[in-house]
Amino acid sequence: MARVGRTSTDEGLDVATFVVLDVVEGPETRWDDGRLTTDLGAVEALGAGSPGVHRMQAEIVRPGQHVRLVNVLDAVDPVVKKNAPQTTFPGALGELAGAGVGVSYRLDGVAVLSLADFRTTHDVDALACSPDGDGVIDMAGPGAYLSPWSATTNLALTFACDPDVSLADVDRSIRAITLRVARDLAAATVKAVPVAVESFALPPADGSLPAVCVILQVAAEGPLADTFFYGRSVAGLLPTLVDPREVMDGALTSGQYDWAGSRNPTAFYQRSVLLRELLARHGRDLRFVGVILALGYLPSAREKERSALLAARLAKRIGAEAAVLTTFQTGNSHTDTVLTAQACERLGVATVALFAETDAGLTDWAPETDCVVSTGNEEELVPEWRPERVIGGEMTYSGRSATDAGRLPVVEYLGAVSQMGDMRLRAVTW
Amino acid sequence: MRVVHYLNQFFAGRGAEGAASLAPERMAGAVGPGRGLGLEGLEVAVTLVCGDDFFGEHETEALRQLLAWLDEEAADVLVCGPSFGSGRYGYACGTLAREAAQRGIPAVCGMHPENPGVPAAAGAAYVVPTGERVTGMRDALPRMAGLARKLGEGAPIGAPDAEGYLPRGLRHNVLDERPAAVRAVDLLLAKLAGTVTSEAAARPERVPPPPPITDPAGVTLALVTESGLVPIGNPDRLESNRARAWLAYPLRGVTAFAPGAYESVHGGFDVRAANADPNRLVPLDAVRTLESEGRLGELHETLYTTTGNSTPVATAAKFGVEIAQRLHEAAVQAVILSGT
Repeated sequence: MARVGRTSTDEGLDVATFVVLDVVEGPETRWDDGRLTTDLGAVEALGAGSPGVHRMQAEIVRPGQHVRLVNVLDAVDPVVKKNAPQTTFPGALGELAGAGVGVSYRLDGVAVLSLADFRTTHDVDALACSPDGDGVIDMAGPGAYLSPWSATTNLALTFACDPDVSLADVDRSIRAITLRVARDLAAATVKAVPVAVESFALPPADGSLPAVCVILQVAAEGPLADTFFYGRSVAGLLPTLVDPREVMDGALTSGQYDWAGSRNPTAFYQRSVLLRELLARHGRDLRFVGVILALGYLPSAREKERSALLAARLAKRIGAEAAVLTTFQTGNSHTDTVLTAQACERLGVATVALFAETDAGLTDWAPETDCVVSTGNEEELVPEWRPERVIGGEMTYSGRSATDAGRLPVVEYLGAVSQMGDMRLRAVTW
Repeated sequence: MRVVHYLNQFFAGRGAEGAASLAPERMAGAVGPGRGLGLEGLEVAVTLVCGDDFFGEHETEALRQLLAWLDEEAADVLVCGPSFGSGRYGYACGTLAREAAQRGIPAVCGMHPENPGVPAAAGAAYVVPTGERVTGMRDALPRMAGLARKLGEGAPIGAPDAEGYLPRGLRHNVLDERPAAVRAVDLLLAKLAGTVTSEAAARPERVPPPPPITDPAGVTLALVTESGLVPIGNPDRLESNRARAWLAYPLRGVTAFAPGAYESVHGGFDVRAANADPNRLVPLDAVRTLESEGRLGELHETLYTTTGNSTPVATAAKFGVEIAQRLHEAAVQAVILSGT
């Protein structure tokens, strides 16, 4: 049996969580024992002068309000590196530094959301991969249970974009501003004394426990359909071994705005239920031997097979006996996952795969995908809801008014069928 | 609530096997088992009857008449049977119920779970499981009546075991107690320990393939694609995802898909490489070469194209049936279907 590869001194990541009980507007951003005050004017000023951003509007949106957010691009958990704030979100926002080590202070119960209706300013269909869907979060109503951000107090940043600046440049600005706001909110806590600190350690574990890895699927299909690792697009990435704590500590950020329900917003990397579960069970039920980033949505059969093979071989090489396969969005990325399962099983690495389903069930399968977790039927329709107010755009993608959008499918709701496994939704046969 | 009830010749009191060729009939009020539904509080307005042999041998004609009557009667709900273990009767019930449900009239059948009428209902109609024999009538009617009443009222229908119907094959969302990631780790550890379970299984619809082609030089071959390939400029506005239609374009005189003359509007993959040579999406150049060398009989001179991206399966299946019908009418014997 392979040994867990690790240096003798595992630096580890300590995460202090500050539970936000209330968010209010005030003259400065500050933390008072559960109460987060933010200066919305100062937040909005952060947007000024960024290429491609005409204006940025910041507002606080609370659970239970009759508000629908549309065209939500990303959700970010506020976090700051306590002892080196300038390295928060390394590469994507801050200076380059290894993520996943040291002390991070994070806020719980509040999220920073970016919103922009690119269709009003740009020819989105001219992109290599144009983002589809409405990117919805309902703060109340029958769809509220589908998104984690219906239950958080959100700082919603709505961007008005300059049509004369390319989408790639506009989006670069939006991502940087959003991460900056998230960092600055959390920075209000750096002098506070944390109540709860979690230590994410990976000490050597009993070699008789099964060695488990994650093959975390990411995707890069150009502007508005990209994922960033230390600030750089993962396009062309070979299957790459990373530390789970890097993923949770800001090394992976999202710039992917296609169907909201099945993509991974940045916050899903930061708070990943899967990585936390495996870290918690390390040394008890299993040995967690690492995370392999691997691309989905590869454009040809040969590239899909190649990446699947290389990911499986890397899993084998780090001693994994079993792998959790996550999937990024739906459609042909399911074939990337199925091929990866086949390649792993051929090498003796047992697999479980997480898949969102459609009305017809699984999109792809093979005899090797004999162990599947359903993250829900993305096509099921949610009962109609008419919000009192909409933030982020006026029209839906299908051309209806956002206040009268009719019954939306589950896949429109941000995070609803997360194939990283963050949600509790699952499909059963009726 | 207006209830229409369907029976075969036997249960309508028109005779046994000798009357199986009875053509469709419409009768006012409840007949036979329909009176039993009435005792359960479900009053039948109209009873439709058809002989089992007639339905089996003249399905199209029988359906046309029965569905026309259903429309005329403005049925809120259709109840079929129960047909127990009777295969021909069950098939008629399941087929009629499916067609009615697909036209927006909710329908309930009652039959044995192994009756061929269950697959005929195709998940569109509800099937209440019954015993194999008519002695199960007293048990079946209250359950059928209860479900029919709810459907007729437009009330939400709960889980199969709670409501007493056979699962229809829908994938319905529920909230599990544990996040999917935790279930994944649990299932993986169980798999390592020797217990393999899955929350979703493949449900392939198997279509028996036609016999292999023995001589390609003698066949007509068609090109069909979901790659979003269209003439440049997309004159008919094919959608880049969630396509609402398929399109047909003439191939007569076209020897290859020249870059700049054709393009893919597919929104689900990076089309730049494909647009540099559209023949790699649909191999017209290679087919024309084979045709000119006499190794392929003839190319069907129409390209059928759509975009297969986020298309609901029901829509995709409809496209498939419609395109296949065209190909069948044109006596096409082989198809290269290129997907992306």
